[in-house]
Amino acid sequence: MHGAALSMNVRSYEVPLGADDNALVRRSVAGDTAAFEQLYRGHVGRVHGAILRLVGMDRARAEELTQDAFVRAWQKLSGFRHESAFSTWLYRLGVNTALMDLRGKHEEVAAPDDELEFAAGGEVPFCAGERGDIERAVSKLPPRARAVLVLHDVEGWKHEEIANELGMAVGSSKAQLHRARGLLRRALTDSRDVSAKIRNGEVSHEQ
Amino acid sequence: MNNEFLWRNQMRRHAEAVEPARDLWPAIAARLATTAAAHRRSRRSQIGWFAIAATLVVAGGAGLTAWRWQHAVRVPAPVAVAEVRPDAAQPVAAQAVASTTATAPELTALDWAVPDDPMLAASAQNLDNASAQLQDALEQRPDAVFLVGLLNRTNSMRLRLLRKSPNAG
Repeated sequence: MHGAALSMNVRSYEVPLGADDNALVRRSVAGDTAAFEQLYRGHVGRVHGAILRLVGMDRARAEELTQDAFVRAWQKLSGFRHESAFSTWLYRLGVNTALMDLRGKHEEVAAPDDELEFAAGGEVPFCAGERGDIERAVSKLPPRARAVLVLHDVEGWKHEEIANELGMAVGSSKAQLHRARGLLRRALTDSRDVSAKIRNGEVSHEQ
Repeated sequence: MNNEFLWRNQMRRHAEAVEPARDLWPAIAARLATTAAAHRRSRRSQIGWFAIAATLVVAGGAGLTAWRWQHAVRVPAPVAVAEVRPDAAQPVAAQAVASTTATAPELTALDWAVPDDPMLAASAQNLDNASAQLQDALEQRPDAVFLVGLLNRTNSMRLRLLRKSPNAG
């Protein structure tokens, strides 16, 4: 459902203009909302994209959290030390906003760390999938497993960073990733089987 | 190894910027305006407390200096307790009353008088104004412990000022 709608808005990462960003940040800290709007226009895609993936392609929720992220950025801007690129700082803040939302929901019963670590053994065979199928399958993962998978496999974070942000052990992050990949692979295999059956006329589209 | 490479390669292709379906800026700008207004109100409020504190320091300092000049050391008769308005008696405000009363239990309201000396009288007036402002502030923020501290200090200075006044006893 979300895949088709998203593909219309997808674009490549823009190369951030660090020097311009710094000037805009300074003007924003002084209260210039027009400068902050320029920062918003330049970076909203990256922030929103990461949040959207973390919330399982729930567009309405992602838009709310993106707004929250930019309001928090405005409030915390005076604390930005210019030690890293503004784009990196803002992106981390956006991800953190989505993870705070995830932490606040408590809708998932967390599996004990030792069970997850035990489950992490073995390799999940590669399973190719279409973009839409993968997005749908990722959106159906349990929230914490999805967050670990998105941060590690899509966003390229290290397990140490993920464990730190999600308040879990590094071993648990690895285990959650393994679990998420296994669930994803199963979902992609099922999806492929259904597609094959549809092509062979064994089942109708409605099924 | 190969599995991992193929998998990561496939997943990394999803790491793209995705523009929101609608422009979020108007809603963000509205929230920023609200935040800025709240911040300004908070700043004004803080400036108000600082003004009260500054008034208190100036009034107290002027009164004590005036007294030192006159060397008029007289032990007064018992002096009034600082009358914190009962309608402001919130949990913390009540502590202010109790605290002031505990330091001078024998004082009466009649003694909350204005010193004869014009300089001391001016300082006393300033302290009374500061005390009134602090009581108003406590009505708005009954949980503000720092206001109770300021009120107690103000009332204590007012008592000391009156005790040092030639007409105190």
